[in-house]
Amino acid sequence: MHIMEGFLPWYWCVFWYALAIPFIAHGVIRMKKITAENPEMKPLLAVCGAFIFIMSSLHVPSVTGSSSHPTGNGLGAVFFGATVISAICVPILIFQALLMAHGGITTLGANDFSMGVVGPFCAVFVWKFGRKVGLGYSAAIFLAAFIGDWMTYVTAATELGMAFPIPTFESAWIKMMIIYSYTQIPISIAESFLTVIIFEYIQKLRPDLLRRLNVIKTEEPNNSIKVPEVN
Amino acid sequence: MFENFLDSYAHSNAIRNVNTYFKVLFGIITLIVSLVSTSPIIPLIIFISVSIIILYKAEIPVKFYLKFVTVPLTFASITFIFMALFFGTGQHIFNLGFLNLSVSADGFNRGFIVFSRIMGGFACMAFLGLTTPMTELFKVMEDMKFPKILLEISMLMYRYIFVSMDEAVTMYHSQETRLGYSSIKKSYKSMGILIANIFIKTWITGEKSFIAMESRGYDGSIRTMNDLGNIRNVGIKNLSYLILFEVILTYGVYLTSTYKIF
Repeated sequence: MHIMEGFLPWYWCVFWYALAIPFIAHGVIRMKKITAENPEMKPLLAVCGAFIFIMSSLHVPSVTGSSSHPTGNGLGAVFFGATVISAICVPILIFQALLMAHGGITTLGANDFSMGVVGPFCAVFVWKFGRKVGLGYSAAIFLAAFIGDWMTYVTAATELGMAFPIPTFESAWIKMMIIYSYTQIPISIAESFLTVIIFEYIQKLRPDLLRRLNVIKTEEPNNSIKVPEVN
Repeated sequence: MFENFLDSYAHSNAIRNVNTYFKVLFGIITLIVSLVSTSPIIPLIIFISVSIIILYKAEIPVKFYLKFVTVPLTFASITFIFMALFFGTGQHIFNLGFLNLSVSADGFNRGFIVFSRIMGGFACMAFLGLTTPMTELFKVMEDMKFPKILLEISMLMYRYIFVSMDEAVTMYHSQETRLGYSSIKKSYKSMGILIANIFIKTWITGEKSFIAMESRGYDGSIRTMNDLGNIRNVGIKNLSYLILFEVILTYGVYLTSTYKIF
């Protein structure tokens, strides 16, 4: 969904930058709070970022000036909250623009708004809603990853449609969405399954970190080793 | 898919030791000039001139650069064709003769402008990516008052990308020797296992290195040798070249602002 450098007219670049910056600022403040309380969260945060980087590097060309790829933003959003992903997407997008000519510096605001703001927010909403209606962790994370991926693409189509409303915004938007769906439906389903696998792995290996992030509920440790009392 | 990484060239090109601020200023200002242009001429001139700088000043191998150019070139060409065919409302200048498709004048013009802007913007980004190592760009960002925590996470992330790619290559080869990719169904399964394992492996490696760093007095900032110059010692000569180049380009944007092919 990365919009290429030079694709958007300059006023749209400025507009999307202005829209994305408040979320990024909030994300930086939250990130500061999380890492100040638990410095050992830093590696997990960076790995989530590297995960998003690698997932969104596996792209195939799609809609004009854009591409189709998994986003990987659902997992991080559920772990750390949506705005943290908005902030972490900034360096990811800079790396991709400079190292792989994928995305761009001037279109960074627009790309961050779709991949770092709308996608994660929808993913978190779906995750919380899913948990509330009683879905299991795996089902909820599946839906969150799926919706997070899809809303990213809906936003990207909106951005492209608004920049080139020809002949009208609606028809341009529908055109974009149709082309996106050909490649994006299989990709997003595959990505969601992958996210479930990773989530279950982490749940098995390090449930303590997830508990501290309030992702999974605190349970009474039933298999804790009893410390013999010393008299 | 990862062979397009240019980290090694960023460390070993011919203008590696030129003032970093000068290179960043050059890249960003040229990028903006290319973006605000309303005619396709100036972005194309920018693409050609910056490519010449990359190839002859920075001495990046032509073969590598051509391979790198094909990425945006494919995107830009698809965009051009798509816009010329579907994004026009004006008179038709060329009929394809099937499926009722035809190229319209305004669609062609719009597509060509976007094509040239993508190529112009790409050249500027490639200039930055190919001539300046990431660590020096981090330093520039630090001077621009980027939030410290974000920079720290970026540095860790940059390291982890390479860690996880190493892991990925090793695991991919071992899966391949065990016929993990012999059919489509198997390759999906192997790919899933691969990516899930990379996540865990990178995380464990990251945690280990984090503990190692903390036990050596890491307090949240990674200090590096800083010899990339200062914004003040760019030098009058370089600065005047830069200003001259950008003024000529801006004047060109003004002159060609109403130019159209059709």
